[in-house]
Amino acid sequence: MSAASLATMSADPMPGPPGQDARFEAYVVPELEILYRVAQSITRNPTDAEDLVQDTLIRAYRAIERFDGRYPRAWLLTIMRNAQINRVRRKRPELMRDPDETMARVADESPDGADAESQLMDQEFEAPIEDALAALPEKFRKVVELVDLNQLSYQEAADALGIPVGTVMSRLHRARRNIRQHLEASRIEEI
Amino acid sequence: MPNKTMSCRDVALRLQTYLDGELDQDRMDSIERHLAACVDCGLEAEVFTSIKNDLASHVKPVNSAALQRLRDFSNQIASAAEADG
Repeated sequence: MSAASLATMSADPMPGPPGQDARFEAYVVPELEILYRVAQSITRNPTDAEDLVQDTLIRAYRAIERFDGRYPRAWLLTIMRNAQINRVRRKRPELMRDPDETMARVADESPDGADAESQLMDQEFEAPIEDALAALPEKFRKVVELVDLNQLSYQEAADALGIPVGTVMSRLHRARRNIRQHLEASRIEEI
Repeated sequence: MPNKTMSCRDVALRLQTYLDGELDQDRMDSIERHLAACVDCGLEAEVFTSIKNDLASHVKPVNSAALQRLRDFSNQIASAAEADG
Protein backbone atom coordinates (compact mmCIF):
# COMPACT_ATOMS: atom_id res chain seq x y z
CA MET A 1 0.00 0.00 0.00
CA SER A 2 2.62 2.48 1.07
CA ALA A 3 4.95 2.17 -1.91
CA ALA A 4 2.05 2.41 -4.34
CA SER A 5 0.66 5.41 -2.51
CA LEU A 6 4.01 7.13 -2.58
CA ALA A 7 4.41 6.37 -6.27
CA THR A 8 0.98 7.86 -6.94
CA MET A 9 1.90 10.86 -4.89
CA SER A 10 5.18 11.28 -6.70
CA ALA A 11 3.30 11.32 -10.01
CA ASP A 12 1.10 14.18 -8.77
CA PRO A 13 1.92 17.14 -11.06
CA MET A 14 1.06 19.69 -8.35
CA PRO A 15 4.02 20.35 -6.02
CA GLY A 16 3.37 21.37 -2.43
CA PRO A 17 3.23 25.07 -1.61
CA PRO A 18 6.19 26.73 0.18
CA GLY A 19 6.13 25.78 3.85
CA GLN A 20 4.21 22.58 3.32
CA ASP A 21 7.06 20.47 4.67
CA ALA A 22 7.54 22.79 7.63
CA ARG A 23 3.85 22.62 8.50
CA PHE A 24 3.88 18.85 8.19
CA GLU A 25 6.92 18.70 10.46
CA ALA A 26 5.35 21.06 12.98
CA TYR A 27 1.81 19.70 13.14
CA VAL A 28 1.96 16.05 12.11
CA VAL A 29 5.31 14.50 13.04
CA PRO A 30 4.96 15.24 16.79
CA GLU A 31 1.70 13.23 16.79
CA LEU A 32 3.15 10.09 15.19
CA GLU A 33 3.27 8.04 18.38
CA ILE A 34 -0.27 8.84 19.49
CA LEU A 35 -1.52 8.19 15.95
CA TYR A 36 0.08 4.75 16.03
CA ARG A 37 -1.34 4.00 19.48
CA VAL A 38 -4.84 5.04 18.40
CA ALA A 39 -4.49 3.05 15.17
CA GLN A 40 -3.65 -0.03 17.23
CA SER A 41 -6.80 0.47 19.30
CA ILE A 42 -8.89 0.85 16.18
CA THR A 43 -7.45 -1.99 14.11
CA ARG A 44 -6.32 -4.42 16.87
CA ASN A 45 -3.47 -5.43 14.59
CA PRO A 46 0.05 -3.88 14.50
CA THR A 47 0.48 -4.28 10.74
CA ASP A 48 -2.90 -2.78 9.92
CA ALA A 49 -2.17 0.00 12.41
CA GLU A 50 1.04 0.92 10.65
CA ASP A 51 -0.73 0.88 7.29
CA LEU A 52 -3.49 3.07 8.66
CA VAL A 53 -1.01 5.63 10.01
CA GLN A 54 0.79 5.72 6.66
CA ASP A 55 -2.51 6.32 4.90
CA THR A 56 -3.28 9.07 7.42
CA LEU A 57 0.12 10.71 6.88
CA ILE A 58 -0.35 10.87 3.13
CA ARG A 59 -3.82 12.36 3.49
CA ALA A 60 -2.54 14.84 6.06
CA TYR A 61 0.33 15.94 3.82
CA ARG A 62 -2.05 16.55 0.95
CA ALA A 63 -4.42 18.54 3.17
CA ILE A 64 -1.89 20.43 5.31
CA GLU A 65 -2.11 23.62 3.25
CA ARG A 66 -5.81 23.90 4.14
CA PHE A 67 -5.30 23.14 7.83
CA ASP A 68 -5.71 26.21 10.05
CA GLY A 69 -3.15 25.05 12.60
CA ARG A 70 -5.60 24.66 15.48
CA TYR A 71 -5.96 21.32 17.29
CA PRO A 72 -3.68 19.27 15.03
CA ARG A 73 -4.33 16.07 16.98
CA ALA A 74 -8.09 16.35 16.55
CA TRP A 75 -7.59 17.14 12.86
CA LEU A 76 -5.34 14.11 12.39
CA LEU A 77 -7.66 11.78 14.30
CA THR A 78 -10.53 12.82 12.05
CA ILE A 79 -8.37 12.10 8.99
CA MET A 80 -7.47 8.73 10.47
CA ARG A 81 -11.11 7.84 11.10
CA ASN A 82 -12.04 8.67 7.50
CA ALA A 83 -9.06 6.68 6.25
CA GLN A 84 -10.14 3.69 8.32
CA ILE A 85 -13.71 3.91 7.03
CA ASN A 86 -12.37 3.85 3.47
CA ARG A 87 -10.10 0.91 4.26
CA VAL A 88 -13.01 -1.05 5.75
CA ARG A 89 -15.22 -0.11 2.81
CA ARG A 90 -12.66 -1.51 0.39
CA LYS A 91 -12.46 -4.72 2.40
CA ARG A 92 -16.13 -5.22 3.26
CA PRO A 93 -18.43 -2.93 1.23
CA GLU A 94 -21.59 -4.69 2.44
CA LEU A 95 -20.99 -3.60 6.03
CA MET A 96 -20.94 0.15 5.52
CA ARG A 97 -24.44 1.08 6.69
CA ASP A 98 -23.11 2.02 10.15
CA PRO A 99 -19.38 2.94 10.20
CA ASP A 100 -19.14 2.57 13.98
CA GLU A 101 -20.69 -0.88 13.86
CA THR A 102 -18.54 -1.79 10.91
CA MET A 103 -15.31 -0.83 12.67
CA ALA A 104 -16.39 -2.81 15.72
CA ARG A 105 -17.23 -5.88 13.63
CA VAL A 106 -14.00 -5.77 11.69
CA ALA A 107 -12.06 -5.37 14.94
CA ASP A 108 -13.96 -8.28 16.48
CA GLU A 109 -12.89 -10.44 13.57
CA SER A 110 -9.24 -9.44 13.66
CA PRO A 111 -7.99 -11.85 16.40
CA ASP A 112 -8.28 -14.70 13.89
CA GLY A 113 -5.78 -12.95 11.69
CA ALA A 114 -3.71 -11.50 14.50
CA ASP A 115 0.03 -11.86 14.12
CA ALA A 116 2.48 -13.35 16.60
CA GLU A 117 3.19 -10.00 18.24
CA SER A 118 -0.42 -9.28 19.14
CA GLN A 119 -0.94 -12.86 20.33
CA LEU A 120 2.05 -12.45 22.60
CA MET A 121 0.62 -9.20 23.92
CA ASP A 122 -2.66 -10.97 24.67
CA GLN A 123 -0.81 -13.63 26.64
CA GLU A 124 0.66 -10.88 28.79
CA PHE A 125 -2.84 -9.91 29.96
CA GLU A 126 -2.55 -11.24 33.46
CA ALA A 127 -3.26 -8.41 35.86
CA PRO A 128 -6.90 -8.20 37.04
CA ILE A 129 -7.28 -4.72 35.59
CA GLU A 130 -6.22 -6.02 32.19
CA ASP A 131 -8.57 -8.97 32.45
CA ALA A 132 -11.34 -6.51 33.23
CA LEU A 133 -10.41 -4.39 30.23
CA ALA A 134 -10.22 -7.41 27.94
CA ALA A 135 -13.68 -8.53 29.11
CA LEU A 136 -15.32 -5.29 27.93
CA PRO A 137 -17.30 -5.29 24.68
CA GLU A 138 -15.20 -3.84 21.86
CA LYS A 139 -16.86 -0.44 21.62
CA PHE A 140 -16.46 0.18 25.35
CA ARG A 141 -12.88 -1.06 25.44
CA LYS A 142 -11.86 1.25 22.62
CA VAL A 143 -13.03 4.32 24.51
CA VAL A 144 -11.18 3.24 27.67
CA GLU A 145 -8.02 2.60 25.66
CA LEU A 146 -8.21 6.00 24.01
CA VAL A 147 -9.00 8.05 27.13
CA ASP A 148 -7.48 6.14 30.05
CA LEU A 149 -4.51 4.46 28.41
CA ASN A 150 -3.64 6.93 25.68
CA GLN A 151 -4.79 10.05 27.52
CA LEU A 152 -6.96 11.48 24.74
CA SER A 153 -9.55 14.10 25.65
CA TYR A 154 -13.24 13.27 25.19
CA GLN A 155 -13.29 15.39 22.03
CA GLU A 156 -10.21 13.68 20.59
CA ALA A 157 -11.67 10.23 21.30
CA ALA A 158 -14.92 11.33 19.66
CA ASP A 159 -12.97 12.50 16.59
CA ALA A 160 -11.05 9.24 16.40
CA LEU A 161 -14.16 7.08 16.63
CA GLY A 162 -16.58 9.31 14.74
CA ILE A 163 -19.11 9.40 17.57
CA PRO A 164 -20.53 12.30 19.65
CA VAL A 165 -18.71 13.41 22.80
CA GLY A 166 -21.77 12.40 24.83
CA THR A 167 -21.45 8.86 23.52
CA VAL A 168 -17.78 8.81 24.49
CA MET A 169 -18.77 9.88 28.01
CA SER A 170 -21.57 7.36 28.41
CA ARG A 171 -19.47 4.47 27.05
CA LEU A 172 -16.49 5.45 29.19
CA HIS A 173 -18.49 5.77 32.38
CA ARG A 174 -20.30 2.51 31.80
CA ALA A 175 -17.03 0.77 30.97
CA ARG A 176 -15.44 1.95 34.20
CA ARG A 177 -18.43 0.72 36.21
CA ASN A 178 -18.07 -2.66 34.48
CA ILE A 179 -14.35 -2.72 35.25
CA ARG A 180 -15.10 -1.97 38.88
CA GLN A 181 -17.65 -4.79 39.05
CA HIS A 182 -15.20 -7.15 37.39
CA LEU A 183 -12.48 -6.26 39.89
CA GLU A 184 -14.85 -6.67 42.84
CA ALA A 185 -15.97 -10.06 41.54
CA SER A 186 -12.32 -11.11 41.11
CA ARG A 187 -11.58 -10.22 44.73
CA ILE A 188 -14.61 -12.18 45.96
CA GLU A 189 -13.42 -15.23 43.98
CA GLU A 190 -9.99 -14.95 45.59
CA ILE A 191 -11.45 -15.11 49.12
CA MET B 1 -24.16 15.37 56.01
CA PRO B 2 -21.45 17.93 55.36
CA ASN B 3 -22.30 21.42 54.23
CA LYS B 4 -21.84 21.54 50.48
CA THR B 5 -23.19 23.20 47.39
CA MET B 6 -23.65 20.03 45.32
CA SER B 7 -25.70 17.01 46.34
CA CYS B 8 -24.21 13.52 46.40
CA ARG B 9 -26.41 12.69 43.43
CA ASP B 10 -25.06 15.66 41.47
CA VAL B 11 -21.53 14.58 42.25
CA ALA B 12 -22.22 10.96 41.28
CA LEU B 13 -23.52 12.14 37.91
CA ARG B 14 -20.38 14.19 37.23
CA LEU B 15 -17.70 12.25 39.09
CA GLN B 16 -16.17 10.54 36.04
CA THR B 17 -16.08 13.76 34.06
CA TYR B 18 -14.49 15.47 37.06
CA LEU B 19 -11.81 12.78 37.32
CA ASP B 20 -11.05 13.26 33.64
CA GLY B 21 -10.68 17.02 34.15
CA GLU B 22 -13.36 17.71 31.56
CA LEU B 23 -15.65 19.98 33.61
CA ASP B 24 -15.55 23.77 33.75
CA GLN B 25 -13.52 25.23 36.61
CA ASP B 26 -16.51 26.19 38.77
CA ARG B 27 -17.87 22.66 38.73
CA MET B 28 -14.42 21.19 39.26
CA ASP B 29 -14.07 23.39 42.37
CA SER B 30 -17.56 22.50 43.66
CA ILE B 31 -16.96 18.79 43.34
CA GLU B 32 -13.53 19.07 44.91
CA ARG B 33 -15.06 20.79 47.94
CA HIS B 34 -17.77 18.13 48.15
CA LEU B 35 -15.28 15.27 47.97
CA ALA B 36 -13.20 16.81 50.72
CA ALA B 37 -16.24 16.97 52.99
CA CYS B 38 -18.25 13.83 52.09
CA VAL B 39 -16.72 10.50 53.11
CA ASP B 40 -18.93 8.35 50.85
CA CYS B 41 -18.33 10.37 47.72
CA GLY B 42 -14.66 10.72 48.60
CA LEU B 43 -14.30 6.94 48.77
CA GLU B 44 -16.13 6.56 45.48
CA ALA B 45 -13.72 9.01 43.89
CA GLU B 46 -10.76 7.09 45.31
CA VAL B 47 -12.01 3.83 43.79
CA PHE B 48 -12.34 5.29 40.31
CA THR B 49 -9.08 7.23 40.60
CA SER B 50 -7.37 3.96 41.44
CA ILE B 51 -8.95 2.26 38.40
CA LYS B 52 -7.86 5.13 36.14
CA ASN B 53 -4.32 5.03 37.52
CA ASP B 54 -4.19 1.26 37.16
CA LEU B 55 -5.27 1.49 33.53
CA ALA B 56 -2.79 4.26 32.77
CA SER B 57 0.03 2.24 34.30
CA HIS B 58 -0.67 -0.67 31.95
CA VAL B 59 0.07 1.24 28.76
CA LYS B 60 2.34 -0.92 26.67
CA PRO B 61 5.45 0.71 25.22
CA VAL B 62 5.00 1.45 21.57
CA ASN B 63 6.99 -0.69 19.15
CA SER B 64 10.05 1.49 18.53
CA ALA B 65 10.88 -0.15 15.19
CA ALA B 66 7.36 0.56 13.91
CA LEU B 67 7.58 4.14 15.11
CA GLN B 68 10.92 4.60 13.35
CA ARG B 69 9.44 3.20 10.14
CA LEU B 70 6.65 5.75 10.40
CA ARG B 71 9.17 8.56 10.94
CA ASP B 72 11.07 7.38 7.88
CA PHE B 73 7.82 7.23 5.95
CA SER B 74 7.07 10.85 6.95
CA ASN B 75 10.42 11.91 5.54
CA GLN B 76 9.77 9.97 2.34
CA ILE B 77 6.48 11.80 1.81
CA ALA B 78 8.25 15.15 1.95
CA SER B 79 11.05 13.89 -0.31
CA ALA B 80 8.57 12.54 -2.87
CA ALA B 81 6.77 15.87 -3.02
CA GLU B 82 10.07 17.75 -3.21
CA ALA B 83 11.20 15.59 -6.15
CA ASP B 84 8.03 16.64 -7.97
CA GLY B 85 8.77 20.30 -7.33
